[in-house]
This record gives sequence, structure tokens and C-alpha cells, in this order.
Amino acid sequence: MSRLLLPLLGLALLLAAAASLLAGSIWFAPADIAAALGQGSDNLVLLILREIRLPRLLLAASVGGILGLSGAVLQGLLRNPLAEPGLLGVSAGASLGAVIAIYYGFAAHFLLAAPLFGLLGALLATAIAFALSQGGGTLSLILAGVAVSSAAGAGVALALNLAPNPYAAYEILIWLMGSLADRSWLHVQLALPFIATGGLLLLRTGRALDALALGEVQAQSLGISVNRVRLLALFGTALGVGAATAVSGVIGFVGLIAPHVARPLVQHRPGKLLWPATLAGALLVVLADIASRTLVFGGVPLNLGVFTSLIGAPFFLWLVIHLRRQTV
Amino acid sequence: MWRVLALAWLLLALPAAAAPARVMSLNQCTDQLVLLLLPPERIASVTWLSGRPGGLPDAAGLRAKLAQVGVNHGLAEEVVRQKPDLVVAGSTTTPATRALLHRLHYPLLEVDSADSFADIRRITRQVAQAVGEPARGEALIAQMDAELRALATSRRAAVPVAALDGAFTMRPESLAAEVLQLAGARNVLVPDAGPVRGKPDLELLLAARPRFLVKGTGSGAPALTTGPELHPLLQRQLGPPLTIPQNLTACGTPLSVDAARILRRKLDAARAARAARPA
Repeated sequence: MSRLLLPLLGLALLLAAAASLLAGSIWFAPADIAAALGQGSDNLVLLILREIRLPRLLLAASVGGILGLSGAVLQGLLRNPLAEPGLLGVSAGASLGAVIAIYYGFAAHFLLAAPLFGLLGALLATAIAFALSQGGGTLSLILAGVAVSSAAGAGVALALNLAPNPYAAYEILIWLMGSLADRSWLHVQLALPFIATGGLLLLRTGRALDALALGEVQAQSLGISVNRVRLLALFGTALGVGAATAVSGVIGFVGLIAPHVARPLVQHRPGKLLWPATLAGALLVVLADIASRTLVFGGVPLNLGVFTSLIGAPFFLWLVIHLRRQTV
Repeated sequence: MWRVLALAWLLLALPAAAAPARVMSLNQCTDQLVLLLLPPERIASVTWLSGRPGGLPDAAGLRAKLAQVGVNHGLAEEVVRQKPDLVVAGSTTTPATRALLHRLHYPLLEVDSADSFADIRRITRQVAQAVGEPARGEALIAQMDAELRALATSRRAAVPVAALDGAFTMRPESLAAEVLQLAGARNVLVPDAGPVRGKPDLELLLAARPRFLVKGTGSGAPALTTGPELHPLLQRQLGPPLTIPQNLTACGTPLSVDAARILRRKLDAARAARAARPA
């Protein structure tokens, strides 16, 4: 089973990706695409595929992948099944950065202002959380993350409160709901390098996570530098999830769910979990993005972040009940 | 409620010859009407919204007049302090202040927002009558009607455009839609081509094959980050959006006809430019 796991997840992701190219407000049959390719010149089908759906698909897969991976690493590092990227202030920091860009109107003049500010916000929030937790253990890292998250959340609320016009407040709210609508290759170009770099840093923690599963002291006795692992995990999350949040807004619960879905399939070994969690995260977001495009309620499409939260919240409840049963 | 209204009207109507000496406007749209109808010395104040960048249309020396009149934030305290002879308010805005003025039987005129040129005629007459400038009101309406006729007689086949009002699809039954039609454009983003509420769907927008993008733009305050009109593909296919100042279409006043004239000119220029450079 475990040898087939990665190829199977990869295959599922490929199938979902193909479906995501065909689905949308205008549905394409595979024959339409073949005909469009045959025509050669730029036609509507080709333009929509190349300029709208392909960048959107790439973003969905990479955003989902980095969320799943970062969730797996953080759950391993903190040895806490409820850990996720949002816990360390990364999402809140990215949100605050992007909201500042929207609020001060930079975003209206420069397409990538919100993503760039989002990335800066994520890095800053994580740096503060890391500095605050220095010398303390896992618990102090979680507490620092929660504190930074709350501070950034207060900043977002302040911006909403003082928004210069109702449309700005609306824009901020919509942005916070998370979406991949109307993203372009520019967004891919901005986010992908950071997501890839963050992903590489996170993947390097695999062996150390296995050792950390025994406890921090035991891991140190095995020659693992806990501080280095923590730095890799935090910096990788800030870069990767920060860039992801910066282009897509907040997409909740994927970082929490994806590792849990994949964990039983790798016999609960945190180091082995990283790739399956990445693929599961990518699969989740690609599927959720298809759903958010095709499920339209009274003319208003559902935002991606809203959709993942709607699925995620019941899962969270199930997780709490499941854990309680395990510990009893 | 009706009795109070009637009483307010009575208070206005009784000294029919004596027009209110000083008028205060509590709504950004009535600001424009009051500024158009009255000399600055007869205006107690207008809202702070009109003083912001883009808060007023460029035309008719309104900005110069604005500098000579007071400012309010729609608060009852300000009515007490400024003691105007008539308060002109929007029929849906500043509800708390209006309720208080009703209870005090303060002279108050409540003006609907205008969703069509017919509405504009009605509310311009209503305000002109109340402030004792009916002739000035009729002159403004006559000037607007002359411009409307000029636009109607020179109309050609409508160009298909994708029309947005800020971030949203332009509502079909609105002043902005009427402006669009007068300018010689047809919105392809009608209800069956995408959600009327909210942002238009980029794929449906492209599939409806508009020739240009028309966008009502505000004061330059924030904020779109990911609006469909910012998508590089759309910019390449349709060129930069042809903009209409929203301060002319959000508030229906006799000046709103300028929006149609501005859009007509931009459409003609964009068509000529595209004809000169075949795709």
C-alpha cells in the first residue's frame, strides 16, 4: 500500500487537474479542446484555458500543496494534531499585509501590491513569533504564534473599521474569504518561486521530525538540532504559506486536514508524511476550486476559502471527538 | 409619519413667498442639487463627503462654491448648531438624524435617489420648489433635456461593451445603464450572461464578446486587487477600460448627462483607434 500511495495520489491529482481545466462557468468537452488546439490561432477556448484556467490550476495545486506540507511539518514539529500554518501567525500576517495594500490603495494602482505586502506581512509575523519564542519550548512557540495572530487580526479589524469607503471594506472582506478567481500568470510568477523555496526548506525537516516524535530531549540526543529544525519549519512556512496566502487570500483548514487524511496511510510516521500530505493538500484545493467555480448560489459563486472552511469545520469537530476517544 | 411629513411640508409651504434663507444638505447627492440651485451664501453646509477627492463632479463651478460653504457629517448636533431654515436629506441616508428632525418638526425635505433621467427631473423640481428656486430648477432641467435630445438624435448602432460599475456588473435598470445607452453602447453583461450581483465572471465576460470595457470609477480611493478588468488577458483583448466618473452616475442630477457625453467621446476615440490599428 505505502509503495503505491504516492503514485495513486499523483494520479488522483492529475485527474482532478484535467477536470479543473474542463469545468467552469463555461464547460468544455475534451473534443472542444482538441478542436481548439487544431485551429492553431488564438480562439476563445484556448485563451480561457491558457490564460485563466491553467494559472488558476497551478495556483490551486501549489497553494494546496504548501498548506498540506506545512501542516504536516508543523504537526510533527509541535507534536500537536491541531497545529496548522494559521497557528503561527503566518496567515494572519499575510492577511494584514495584503489588507494594508488594499486599504491604502496601493492595490488599485499595482496589481501585485497585495501579494507582495502579504508576503512581507507573513515573514514579519513569523519573525516576531520566532523571536518571542526563543529559549522557550514548543508551548511558547504556539503561544507566540497565537499572540501574533491576534495582533494581526486586530490590525485587519482596524482597517475594516476605518475603511475609506464601503467598497474598500467589501474588498477586504472578500479578499479575506480566499479565492482563486481572476488570477493570472502574474500571480503564478510572483507566488511559485517562494512556494517552491518554502517547500524545499520544509521537505528537509523529514528525518528530524521522525526523531522529534520521540521527544525533544531524545531527538537532541540523536544529534538533531531542534532549533535548526524549528527555523527550517518556520521560515519554510512563512515563505511558502505566506506567498500562497498572499495570492489566494486565507484558505482555511487545508493545512489541518491534509496531514490527517494522509497520516493513517503512512503508519503515522511524521517524516514519511510530508509528500503524501503535500499531494493530499493539492488534491483538496484543486477539488475545492472546481466546486467553488461550479456551485453557484443565486448567481453568486462560493469563495474558495468559504468552501474549505465549510468542509473543514465539521472535520475539526470529528477530529476532537476522535482524539478524545483515543485518549480515553 | 404622514402627519409629520405633512406638517414639515406645511412649515415649508406656509411662508410660500419667503424661501428658506439658509439650506443644509445631509446627503452627498442632495449636496449637488443644492449647490447647483443656490448661491453659496444661502447654503449653511453640505456633507463632508462632497469635499473629498472626486466627491463632486468637475462641472459648473461646484468645487469653487463648495469652498465657500460649511461642512456637516449628517449629525443632528450639527443641525442644531448651524440652524438652517431647511434641511435637505436623502430618503434613505442619515435615518437617526431624520427621525430626530421629524420629532422636532424641523423643516425637512427628504429626496429619493434618482435611478433614471425621469427621476432626475422629478427630484430637481422637488428640491428647486422647496428652496424657492423653481425657475432655476426648470432652467437646469431644460439644459439637461436639450443635451439628452442632442445625444439621442446623433445616436448610432450600439457597440457591445462589458460595463462595470466599480467592481460590479452595471445594474440594468439604473442611471448608469441609461447613460450607457445614450452614449451608444450596449452592455453584454446582462442578467443571462452572468450574475448581476457581484463581480462578473471573467470567462462569461469573454464569451459574450464585448468590444470594449466600460467602467464607472470612483475617487481613486481603494480598492480592487483582483477584479476581472485587471486581468492581463482582458487588458490585452479589450484595451484599458473606458471610464465614466461615478460621481456623475451614482448621484442623479442635471449634470449626469455629462457622463453620457464623456463616454460617447471616449467610445468614438477608442473605435477610431481600433480601426486605425487592425487587430
